[in-house]
Amino acid sequence: MTEKKAATKGDFTAVVTANKHISTCFYKLSLQFLHEGAEAFAQAVPGQFAQLDLSSTALPPSDKLKEQQSDVIGRGIILRRPYSFCEITTKDDKTSVEILYCALGPASLRMTTLKPADKINVLGPLGNGFSIPQGKKTALLVTGGMGAPPIQHLAGVLSLEHSDIYPLVFAGAKTKNKLPFEGRIDEISKEIGFPIHALARFGVESQIATDDGSVGFHGPATQCLSQWLGENEVSAEQTIIYACGPEDMLAEVARIANEKNIDCQISMERRMACGIGICQSCAVECRVGDSPKTEYKLCCKDGPVFDAKEVIFHLEKDAHRL
Amino acid sequence: MESNVDISVEFAGLKLANPVFTASGTCGYADELAEFTDVNSLGGFITKSITARPRMGNPVPRIVETDSGMLNAIGLANVGLDKFIEEKLPVLQKMKPAVFVNVAGETIEDYCRVAQRLSTEQAIAGFELNISCPNVRKGGITFGIDPVQVKEITTAVKATAGQKVLMVKLSPNVTDISIIARAAVEAGADALSLVNTFTAMAIDIEKQQPVLANRTGGLSGPAIKPIAVYMVNKVYNEVTKETKVPILGGGGIRNASDAIEFILAGASAVAVGTWNFVNPDCTSKIVSGIKDYCRLKEVSSIKQLIGAAG
Repeated sequence: MTEKKAATKGDFTAVVTANKHISTCFYKLSLQFLHEGAEAFAQAVPGQFAQLDLSSTALPPSDKLKEQQSDVIGRGIILRRPYSFCEITTKDDKTSVEILYCALGPASLRMTTLKPADKINVLGPLGNGFSIPQGKKTALLVTGGMGAPPIQHLAGVLSLEHSDIYPLVFAGAKTKNKLPFEGRIDEISKEIGFPIHALARFGVESQIATDDGSVGFHGPATQCLSQWLGENEVSAEQTIIYACGPEDMLAEVARIANEKNIDCQISMERRMACGIGICQSCAVECRVGDSPKTEYKLCCKDGPVFDAKEVIFHLEKDAHRL
Repeated sequence: MESNVDISVEFAGLKLANPVFTASGTCGYADELAEFTDVNSLGGFITKSITARPRMGNPVPRIVETDSGMLNAIGLANVGLDKFIEEKLPVLQKMKPAVFVNVAGETIEDYCRVAQRLSTEQAIAGFELNISCPNVRKGGITFGIDPVQVKEITTAVKATAGQKVLMVKLSPNVTDISIIARAAVEAGADALSLVNTFTAMAIDIEKQQPVLANRTGGLSGPAIKPIAVYMVNKVYNEVTKETKVPILGGGGIRNASDAIEFILAGASAVAVGTWNFVNPDCTSKIVSGIKDYCRLKEVSSIKQLIGAAG
């Protein structure tokens, strides 16, 4: 990834090749790009994102909606929706991009009606993704809730392209059925460290943590990370932590990384309109060097991946969730 | 056939290749948008607001989508005058469209300082005086809702703006927009820009508090278009038709049909705002769509359509 040039972004038409219901509210949308779009997305790195235009995508029939969804679904949407990727594959001159999403709001509920051969307009790939500094031997990946897709993408890339790095994923969620991964949580494989099929197929080990203890560790994924760091001797210099999830979780990961003096990259989330740096909506407060001053950077353009040391976190009381 | 259609317009003494502008705050300083569209296909370009000193802007959340629209409360985040001159002006210098710098501030002196400093810059065709931003505590809209203050600030900036075109951007958050328009014109405004966003609010019913950190924001997008068309038509008929001051009309424009509505209502040119966020290349399509419309209606010049709806 570090050796690849920055991807050329653009405004492309993607063809839907699949849109699969995975579990509860989770779906996986498969998009195929041709020509320039294929070239651009073949270069995309984990943590980057795309802006999907879903404004003309059909609503699900009203009888398929749950009662609490009927208010939200009626809202006429105009803005694109940003999504990161959980996997990108290239074959011949085609690039396939997998997007794992949670059908919750007016745009994502529309997304569930996309079917093979439908076309959608996509701006991307956008922003700066995760980078892999030289000399790293261990990569600890932490995810919470819907932070999973780009972490899964990164785990796949690390496994396929960086055989000198040992990746380990700590995947957290509120409860078992809120783990946004394709495939069942495998109880047998859990015993040997591979409970998440979507990661195991790349040979990537993982640990699960749930807030209610319905599967895996009973508590936050950050506690698994701390525990692992306490039990395993690793060289701080040769280790890197990557994280994506709720801001409170990212703040805790940043704190742990800082305490252990380990490099840490985090993927932030903000409400955005344009995704290309013009609307200035997605401000992330950052430190300016070692000075007490702060500045706003843009999640879409300067991020969404930031060095954990530079971000000033805004915790739950100010946080926003859709 | 194409050569027979003339979509150029006269705008306060400027000859523009076409009537399509990008609205302030929706097109950055041109460098960002240039990756997705040919900014040189525009008739005019209006920068993000510039203030004398840099501004960080408001805390997040700064936006929320609403029915067919969005609220924003960015808070005039900008690089400040010095950095604008150093970093952004060289990019704008190379552009074909008429470049307007949107000027904002907390005091009349702030506005004058920016206008004066830029008044001799060749890259700039004019200023858009932002007296209508609803998202800052000082300045902004507080000037724009009082005809006495509108006159005062317009006169002061006009005196420092040199030969540059002075366009005043009006707020729709007033009882009678024509009173404000007249005050600006009487004080020497060369053009009027309308409308800025409508002050609005969205409440998160889970948290039982406003969605935006600023509590309120400015509503933009298709939701406001019919009100904006009405206001342009009102100001055209009551103020500018007689005084020959051109209007830059806008509010929720998505496509050429929307743009033509504003022109028929009385706008000499149109500003596309929120839709740049959705389709950063929409303005080039609007330019060609206006040409197609003229051809279809057998109109030899777009100028004939300005205010044609009466």
